[in-house]
Amino acid sequence: MRYAVRALGWATKILWILIIVFAGTSVYSAINVRMSFGEPQLFLSNELVVISIPLFINNTGFYDLSELNMTVDVMDYNGSLVLTSTTFVPLIPRGSSVETAHNVSMSLDDITSKAPNYLFNDTIIGVDMAVKLNFAHAVPLGVSMNKTIPWGAPLYNFSIGQISYGYYNLTHQRVIIPLSFENHSPYFGIDGTMEVEMYNSGYELLGSRTLSLNVPSHSRYEGEVELIVDVSKLTESGELHFYFETSTVSLGPVVMPYG
Amino acid sequence: MPRFFKAAFLVAIVYLPIYFLSALVRPLESFFPWYEPLTNIFTAVFLIFLVAGTLFSGTVFQYLFAVARTLVLMLFFIYALNGGIITLAVPVQETTVNIFIDLRVILAMLVLVCLLGIAKNVVQAVDFVAGKAETKEI
Repeated sequence: MRYAVRALGWATKILWILIIVFAGTSVYSAINVRMSFGEPQLFLSNELVVISIPLFINNTGFYDLSELNMTVDVMDYNGSLVLTSTTFVPLIPRGSSVETAHNVSMSLDDITSKAPNYLFNDTIIGVDMAVKLNFAHAVPLGVSMNKTIPWGAPLYNFSIGQISYGYYNLTHQRVIIPLSFENHSPYFGIDGTMEVEMYNSGYELLGSRTLSLNVPSHSRYEGEVELIVDVSKLTESGELHFYFETSTVSLGPVVMPYG
Repeated sequence: MPRFFKAAFLVAIVYLPIYFLSALVRPLESFFPWYEPLTNIFTAVFLIFLVAGTLFSGTVFQYLFAVARTLVLMLFFIYALNGGIITLAVPVQETTVNIFIDLRVILAMLVLVCLLGIAKNVVQAVDFVAGKAETKEI
Protein backbone atom coordinates (compact mmCIF):
# COMPACT_ATOMS: atom_id res chain seq x y z
CA MET A 1 0.00 0.00 0.00
CA ARG A 2 2.84 2.37 0.90
CA TYR A 3 4.48 1.82 -2.48
CA ALA A 4 1.23 2.54 -4.28
CA VAL A 5 0.80 5.77 -2.33
CA ARG A 6 4.39 6.74 -3.04
CA ALA A 7 4.05 5.95 -6.75
CA LEU A 8 0.84 7.98 -6.99
CA GLY A 9 2.49 10.83 -5.12
CA TRP A 10 5.44 10.89 -7.50
CA ALA A 11 3.21 10.62 -10.55
CA THR A 12 1.14 13.57 -9.30
CA LYS A 13 4.23 15.66 -8.62
CA ILE A 14 5.79 14.88 -11.99
CA LEU A 15 2.56 15.70 -13.83
CA TRP A 16 2.20 18.98 -11.94
CA ILE A 17 5.76 19.94 -12.86
CA LEU A 18 5.12 19.03 -16.51
CA ILE A 19 1.92 21.08 -16.63
CA ILE A 20 3.51 24.11 -14.98
CA VAL A 21 6.58 23.94 -17.24
CA PHE A 22 4.38 23.49 -20.32
CA ALA A 23 2.10 26.40 -19.31
CA GLY A 24 5.07 28.69 -18.65
CA THR A 25 6.97 27.81 -21.82
CA SER A 26 3.76 28.01 -23.88
CA VAL A 27 3.08 31.56 -22.77
CA TYR A 28 6.71 32.48 -23.45
CA SER A 29 6.60 30.81 -26.88
CA ALA A 30 3.29 32.42 -27.84
CA ILE A 31 4.74 35.84 -26.99
CA ASN A 32 7.75 35.11 -29.20
CA VAL A 33 5.82 34.24 -32.35
CA ARG A 34 5.98 37.09 -34.83
CA MET A 35 3.63 37.32 -37.77
CA SER A 36 3.77 40.14 -40.28
CA PHE A 37 2.48 41.01 -43.73
CA GLY A 38 4.51 42.52 -46.54
CA GLU A 39 3.59 44.91 -49.32
CA PRO A 40 0.85 43.41 -51.55
CA GLN A 41 1.85 42.71 -55.14
CA LEU A 42 -0.36 42.35 -58.21
CA PHE A 43 0.17 39.65 -60.87
CA LEU A 44 -1.71 38.86 -64.04
CA SER A 45 -1.66 35.29 -65.30
CA ASN A 46 -3.98 33.06 -67.36
CA GLU A 47 -7.03 35.29 -67.12
CA LEU A 48 -6.49 35.65 -63.39
CA VAL A 49 -5.62 38.68 -61.34
CA VAL A 50 -3.62 37.60 -58.32
CA ILE A 51 -3.02 39.86 -55.35
CA SER A 52 -0.15 38.34 -53.43
CA ILE A 53 0.34 39.41 -49.81
CA PRO A 54 3.70 38.23 -48.42
CA LEU A 55 3.32 36.54 -45.06
CA PHE A 56 6.26 36.18 -42.68
CA ILE A 57 6.10 34.03 -39.58
CA ASN A 58 9.00 33.80 -37.16
CA ASN A 59 8.64 31.12 -34.52
CA THR A 60 11.33 31.64 -31.90
CA GLY A 61 9.39 29.79 -29.23
CA PHE A 62 9.93 26.31 -27.83
CA TYR A 63 7.14 24.59 -29.72
CA ASP A 64 6.20 23.86 -33.33
CA LEU A 65 3.29 25.59 -34.96
CA SER A 66 1.39 23.34 -37.32
CA GLU A 67 -1.56 23.39 -39.69
CA LEU A 68 -1.62 27.15 -40.05
CA ASN A 69 -4.70 27.97 -42.08
CA MET A 70 -5.52 31.49 -43.09
CA THR A 71 -8.78 32.25 -44.88
CA VAL A 72 -10.08 35.55 -46.17
CA ASP A 73 -13.63 35.84 -47.50
CA VAL A 74 -14.86 38.99 -49.15
CA MET A 75 -18.60 39.52 -49.46
CA ASP A 76 -20.60 42.18 -51.17
CA TYR A 77 -23.44 44.24 -49.67
CA ASN A 78 -26.01 41.44 -49.92
CA GLY A 79 -23.70 38.90 -48.28
CA SER A 80 -22.86 36.88 -51.37
CA LEU A 81 -19.29 35.71 -51.58
CA VAL A 82 -17.20 37.79 -53.95
CA LEU A 83 -13.95 35.96 -53.41
CA THR A 84 -12.31 33.56 -51.01
CA SER A 85 -8.68 32.73 -50.49
CA THR A 86 -6.86 30.26 -48.28
CA THR A 87 -3.24 29.77 -47.31
CA PHE A 88 -2.10 26.60 -45.60
CA VAL A 89 1.29 26.12 -43.96
CA PRO A 90 1.70 22.54 -42.70
CA LEU A 91 4.51 23.17 -40.23
CA ILE A 92 6.56 25.99 -38.76
CA PRO A 93 9.21 24.25 -36.67
CA ARG A 94 10.41 25.88 -33.48
CA GLY A 95 13.27 28.30 -33.90
CA SER A 96 12.59 28.81 -37.58
CA SER A 97 10.84 31.27 -39.80
CA VAL A 98 8.61 30.76 -42.80
CA GLU A 99 8.01 33.10 -45.67
CA THR A 100 4.96 32.45 -47.75
CA ALA A 101 2.33 34.47 -49.54
CA HIS A 102 -1.39 34.75 -49.16
CA ASN A 103 -2.76 34.83 -52.69
CA VAL A 104 -6.12 36.32 -53.48
CA SER A 105 -7.13 35.55 -57.04
CA MET A 106 -10.04 36.71 -59.16
CA SER A 107 -10.83 35.83 -62.72
CA LEU A 108 -10.75 38.67 -65.23
CA ASP A 109 -14.29 37.75 -66.29
CA ASP A 110 -15.51 38.27 -62.73
CA ILE A 111 -13.76 41.60 -62.48
CA THR A 112 -15.16 42.74 -65.83
CA SER A 113 -18.69 41.76 -64.87
CA LYS A 114 -18.58 43.21 -61.36
CA ALA A 115 -16.35 46.24 -61.91
CA PRO A 116 -19.05 48.62 -63.21
CA ASN A 117 -21.11 48.06 -60.07
CA TYR A 118 -18.16 48.96 -57.84
CA LEU A 119 -17.03 51.86 -60.03
CA PHE A 120 -20.39 53.61 -60.12
CA ASN A 121 -22.14 52.65 -56.86
CA ASP A 122 -21.19 53.09 -53.23
CA THR A 123 -21.60 49.89 -51.27
CA ILE A 124 -20.43 48.01 -48.22
CA ILE A 125 -17.91 45.19 -48.47
CA GLY A 126 -17.71 42.57 -45.75
CA VAL A 127 -14.36 40.95 -45.00
CA ASP A 128 -14.16 37.78 -42.89
CA MET A 129 -10.66 36.78 -41.87
CA ALA A 130 -9.76 33.66 -39.92
CA VAL A 131 -6.39 32.27 -38.83
CA LYS A 132 -6.24 28.82 -37.28
CA LEU A 133 -3.22 26.90 -36.12
CA ASN A 134 -2.15 24.11 -33.87
CA PHE A 135 0.21 25.12 -31.09
CA ALA A 136 2.72 22.50 -29.92
CA HIS A 137 0.62 19.83 -31.71
CA ALA A 138 -1.67 19.97 -28.67
CA VAL A 139 -3.50 23.27 -28.48
CA PRO A 140 -5.57 24.28 -31.51
CA LEU A 141 -6.35 27.95 -31.55
CA GLY A 142 -7.91 30.42 -33.89
CA VAL A 143 -8.46 34.10 -34.38
CA SER A 144 -11.24 35.44 -36.54
CA MET A 145 -12.65 38.83 -37.29
CA ASN A 146 -15.21 40.30 -39.58
CA LYS A 147 -15.17 43.83 -40.74
CA THR A 148 -17.36 45.90 -42.97
CA ILE A 149 -15.58 48.34 -45.19
CA PRO A 150 -17.52 51.14 -46.83
CA TRP A 151 -16.71 51.17 -50.53
CA GLY A 152 -16.75 54.55 -52.18
CA ALA A 153 -17.34 54.42 -55.93
CA PRO A 154 -14.69 56.37 -57.85
CA LEU A 155 -17.25 57.31 -60.54
CA TYR A 156 -20.25 57.83 -58.28
CA ASN A 157 -23.28 59.42 -59.92
CA PHE A 158 -21.62 59.55 -63.33
CA SER A 159 -24.10 61.43 -65.48
CA ILE A 160 -24.44 63.58 -68.54
CA GLY A 161 -26.24 66.91 -68.39
CA GLN A 162 -28.33 68.68 -70.99
CA ILE A 163 -26.52 68.39 -74.34
CA SER A 164 -26.30 71.70 -76.20
CA TYR A 165 -25.77 72.18 -79.90
CA GLY A 166 -24.08 75.15 -81.57
CA TYR A 167 -23.18 76.33 -85.05
CA TYR A 168 -19.74 75.30 -86.38
CA ASN A 169 -20.07 75.52 -90.17
CA LEU A 170 -22.58 74.63 -92.85
CA THR A 171 -21.91 70.89 -92.70
CA HIS A 172 -20.92 70.41 -89.07
CA GLN A 173 -22.29 71.29 -85.67
CA ARG A 174 -20.67 71.76 -82.32
CA VAL A 175 -22.05 69.41 -79.62
CA ILE A 176 -21.29 70.17 -75.97
CA ILE A 177 -21.85 67.34 -73.48
CA PRO A 178 -21.69 68.28 -69.79
CA LEU A 179 -20.34 65.49 -67.59
CA SER A 180 -20.16 65.09 -63.86
CA PHE A 181 -19.31 62.53 -61.23
CA GLU A 182 -17.96 62.30 -57.69
CA ASN A 183 -14.92 60.32 -56.69
CA HIS A 184 -16.07 58.77 -53.39
CA SER A 185 -13.14 56.42 -53.19
CA PRO A 186 -10.96 56.99 -50.13
CA TYR A 187 -8.27 54.75 -51.61
CA PHE A 188 -7.36 56.18 -55.00
CA GLY A 189 -7.81 59.18 -57.23
CA ILE A 190 -8.64 58.96 -60.90
CA ASP A 191 -5.65 59.88 -62.98
CA GLY A 192 -5.94 58.86 -66.61
CA THR A 193 -8.00 59.42 -69.71
CA MET A 194 -11.65 59.22 -70.71
CA GLU A 195 -12.64 58.71 -74.33
CA VAL A 196 -16.13 59.77 -75.39
CA GLU A 197 -17.77 58.44 -78.55
CA MET A 198 -21.08 59.74 -79.84
CA TYR A 199 -23.36 57.51 -81.90
CA ASN A 200 -26.60 58.38 -83.60
CA SER A 201 -29.76 56.27 -83.51
CA GLY A 202 -28.40 54.17 -86.40
CA TYR A 203 -25.20 53.36 -84.38
CA GLU A 204 -23.05 55.48 -86.71
CA LEU A 205 -20.08 57.10 -85.03
CA LEU A 206 -20.57 60.86 -85.09
CA GLY A 207 -17.41 61.87 -83.32
CA SER A 208 -15.06 61.10 -80.45
CA ARG A 209 -12.70 62.87 -78.12
CA THR A 210 -10.26 61.85 -75.40
CA LEU A 211 -10.00 63.88 -72.22
CA SER A 212 -7.47 63.63 -69.49
CA LEU A 213 -8.88 63.18 -65.99
CA ASN A 214 -7.33 64.04 -62.68
CA VAL A 215 -9.88 63.69 -59.92
CA PRO A 216 -8.46 63.19 -56.41
CA SER A 217 -10.25 61.19 -53.72
CA HIS A 218 -13.39 62.74 -52.29
CA SER A 219 -13.69 65.37 -54.97
CA ARG A 220 -16.23 66.20 -57.65
CA TYR A 221 -15.60 66.39 -61.37
CA GLU A 222 -17.61 68.67 -63.63
CA GLY A 223 -16.56 69.13 -67.21
CA GLU A 224 -17.66 69.39 -70.77
CA VAL A 225 -16.80 67.46 -73.91
CA GLU A 226 -16.97 69.27 -77.18
CA LEU A 227 -17.49 67.27 -80.34
CA ILE A 228 -17.75 68.43 -83.93
CA VAL A 229 -20.29 66.24 -85.70
CA ASP A 230 -21.72 65.91 -89.18
CA VAL A 231 -25.13 67.62 -89.24
CA SER A 232 -26.52 65.18 -91.79
CA LYS A 233 -25.87 62.22 -89.45
CA LEU A 234 -27.09 63.86 -86.27
CA THR A 235 -30.26 62.39 -84.81
CA GLU A 236 -32.39 63.43 -81.84
CA SER A 237 -31.40 60.38 -79.84
CA GLY A 238 -28.50 57.99 -79.72
CA GLU A 239 -25.82 56.69 -77.43
CA LEU A 240 -22.70 57.98 -75.78
CA HIS A 241 -19.91 55.48 -75.14
CA PHE A 242 -17.32 56.20 -72.49
CA TYR A 243 -13.96 54.45 -72.14
CA PHE A 244 -11.85 54.97 -69.01
CA GLU A 245 -8.16 54.26 -68.91
CA THR A 246 -6.08 54.65 -65.75
CA SER A 247 -2.93 52.95 -64.54
CA THR A 248 -5.04 50.38 -62.66
CA VAL A 249 -8.36 50.17 -64.48
CA SER A 250 -9.44 49.95 -68.12
CA LEU A 251 -13.17 50.15 -68.44
CA GLY A 252 -15.51 50.56 -71.29
CA PRO A 253 -17.67 51.05 -73.05
CA VAL A 254 -20.02 52.56 -70.51
CA VAL A 255 -23.12 53.24 -72.59
CA MET A 256 -25.46 56.13 -71.84
CA PRO A 257 -28.38 57.10 -74.05
CA TYR A 258 -29.09 60.69 -74.91
CA GLY A 259 -32.09 62.50 -76.38
CA MET B 1 -2.54 24.73 18.86
CA PRO B 2 0.34 23.78 16.49
CA ARG B 3 -2.33 22.54 14.05
CA PHE B 4 -3.81 26.04 13.88
CA PHE B 5 -0.38 27.48 13.08
CA LYS B 6 0.21 24.79 10.48
CA ALA B 7 -3.22 25.51 8.93
CA ALA B 8 -2.54 29.26 8.91
CA PHE B 9 0.87 28.68 7.35
CA LEU B 10 -0.62 26.40 4.65
CA VAL B 11 -3.38 28.92 3.92
CA ALA B 12 -0.75 31.63 3.44
CA ILE B 13 1.36 29.36 1.22
CA VAL B 14 -1.64 28.37 -0.95
CA TYR B 15 -3.18 31.83 -1.08
CA LEU B 16 -0.01 33.64 -2.23
CA PRO B 17 0.21 32.12 -5.76
CA ILE B 18 -3.56 32.56 -6.20
CA TYR B 19 -3.22 36.21 -5.17
CA PHE B 20 -0.35 36.81 -7.59
CA LEU B 21 -2.16 35.02 -10.41
CA SER B 22 -5.22 37.19 -9.81
CA ALA B 23 -3.03 40.31 -9.86
CA LEU B 24 -1.54 39.09 -13.14
CA VAL B 25 -4.97 38.50 -14.68
CA ARG B 26 -6.50 41.76 -13.34
CA PRO B 27 -5.39 43.93 -16.32
CA LEU B 28 -7.23 41.47 -18.57
CA GLU B 29 -10.31 41.49 -16.35
CA SER B 30 -12.52 42.95 -19.05
CA PHE B 31 -11.96 39.81 -21.13
CA PHE B 32 -12.42 37.43 -18.18
CA PRO B 33 -15.00 39.18 -15.97
CA TRP B 34 -16.01 35.85 -14.46
CA TYR B 35 -12.48 34.94 -13.39
CA GLU B 36 -12.12 36.85 -10.11
CA PRO B 37 -15.51 36.03 -8.47
CA LEU B 38 -15.13 32.41 -9.57
CA THR B 39 -11.59 32.18 -8.22
CA ASN B 40 -12.62 33.77 -4.92
CA ILE B 41 -15.41 31.23 -4.37
CA PHE B 42 -13.26 28.22 -5.29
CA THR B 43 -10.32 29.56 -3.26
CA ALA B 44 -12.54 29.98 -0.20
CA VAL B 45 -13.93 26.44 -0.50
CA PHE B 46 -10.46 25.03 -1.17
CA LEU B 47 -9.00 26.81 1.87
CA ILE B 48 -11.87 25.63 4.11
CA PHE B 49 -11.14 22.03 3.16
CA LEU B 50 -7.41 22.64 3.61
CA VAL B 51 -7.90 24.04 7.12
CA ALA B 52 -10.36 21.27 8.00
CA GLY B 53 -7.94 18.63 6.69
CA THR B 54 -5.09 20.09 8.74
CA LEU B 55 -7.20 20.33 11.90
CA PHE B 56 -8.31 16.72 11.47
CA SER B 57 -4.85 15.40 10.67
CA GLY B 58 -4.16 12.07 12.25
CA THR B 59 -7.71 10.92 11.51
CA VAL B 60 -9.34 9.44 8.43
CA PHE B 61 -11.12 12.78 7.85
CA GLN B 62 -7.77 14.27 6.87
CA TYR B 63 -7.90 12.15 3.70
CA LEU B 64 -11.59 12.76 3.08
CA PHE B 65 -11.03 16.52 3.20
CA ALA B 66 -8.04 16.12 0.91
CA VAL B 67 -10.26 14.25 -1.59
CA ALA B 68 -12.90 17.00 -1.31
CA ARG B 69 -10.20 19.64 -1.81
CA THR B 70 -8.89 17.93 -4.93
CA LEU B 71 -12.44 17.56 -6.27
CA VAL B 72 -12.97 21.29 -5.78
CA LEU B 73 -9.73 21.98 -7.62
CA MET B 74 -10.78 19.69 -10.49
CA LEU B 75 -14.17 21.39 -10.77
CA PHE B 76 -12.46 24.77 -10.72
CA PHE B 77 -10.25 23.78 -13.66
CA ILE B 78 -13.20 22.43 -15.63
CA TYR B 79 -15.29 25.51 -14.91
CA ALA B 80 -12.53 28.10 -15.37
CA LEU B 81 -11.38 26.57 -18.67
CA ASN B 82 -15.00 26.30 -19.83
CA GLY B 83 -14.69 22.57 -20.45
CA GLY B 84 -11.47 23.14 -22.41
CA ILE B 85 -12.89 25.46 -25.07
CA ILE B 86 -12.23 29.13 -24.44
CA THR B 87 -13.77 31.77 -26.68
CA LEU B 88 -13.10 35.46 -26.27
CA ALA B 89 -14.43 38.47 -28.10
CA VAL B 90 -11.89 41.29 -27.96
CA PRO B 91 -12.96 44.68 -29.27
CA VAL B 92 -10.16 46.18 -31.35
CA GLN B 93 -10.84 49.66 -32.72
CA GLU B 94 -14.17 49.35 -34.55
CA THR B 95 -14.20 45.61 -34.98
CA THR B 96 -14.37 42.55 -32.77
CA VAL B 97 -11.64 39.94 -32.82
CA ASN B 98 -12.86 36.49 -31.82
CA ILE B 99 -10.27 34.26 -30.21
CA PHE B 100 -10.79 30.54 -29.81
CA ILE B 101 -8.46 28.27 -27.82
CA ASP B 102 -8.95 24.54 -27.46
CA LEU B 103 -7.33 23.61 -24.14
CA ARG B 104 -8.88 20.15 -23.84
CA VAL B 105 -5.48 18.44 -23.80
CA ILE B 106 -4.30 20.67 -20.96
CA LEU B 107 -7.60 20.20 -19.13
CA ALA B 108 -7.30 16.44 -19.53
CA MET B 109 -3.83 16.60 -17.95
CA LEU B 110 -5.14 18.73 -15.07
CA VAL B 111 -8.09 16.39 -14.48
CA LEU B 112 -5.70 13.44 -14.60
CA VAL B 113 -3.49 15.04 -11.94
CA CYS B 114 -6.55 15.67 -9.77
CA LEU B 115 -7.76 12.10 -10.25
CA LEU B 116 -4.31 10.81 -9.30
CA GLY B 117 -4.46 13.02 -6.20
CA ILE B 118 -7.89 11.64 -5.31
CA ALA B 119 -6.68 8.06 -5.87
CA LYS B 120 -3.65 8.71 -3.69
CA ASN B 121 -5.81 10.07 -0.85
CA VAL B 122 -8.30 7.21 -1.13
CA VAL B 123 -5.45 4.66 -0.97
CA GLN B 124 -3.97 6.54 1.98
CA ALA B 125 -7.37 6.53 3.71
CA VAL B 126 -7.75 2.78 3.15
CA ASP B 127 -4.20 2.24 4.42
CA PHE B 128 -4.92 4.39 7.44
CA VAL B 129 -8.14 2.52 8.30
CA ALA B 130 -6.44 -0.84 7.71
CA GLY B 131 -3.55 0.23 9.95
CA LYS B 132 -5.98 1.24 12.71
CA ALA B 133 -7.85 -2.08 12.42
CA GLU B 134 -4.55 -3.98 12.65
CA THR B 135 -3.54 -1.98 15.74
CA LYS B 136 -6.87 -2.77 17.38
CA GLU B 137 -6.52 -6.52 16.64
CA ILE B 138 -3.03 -6.58 18.17
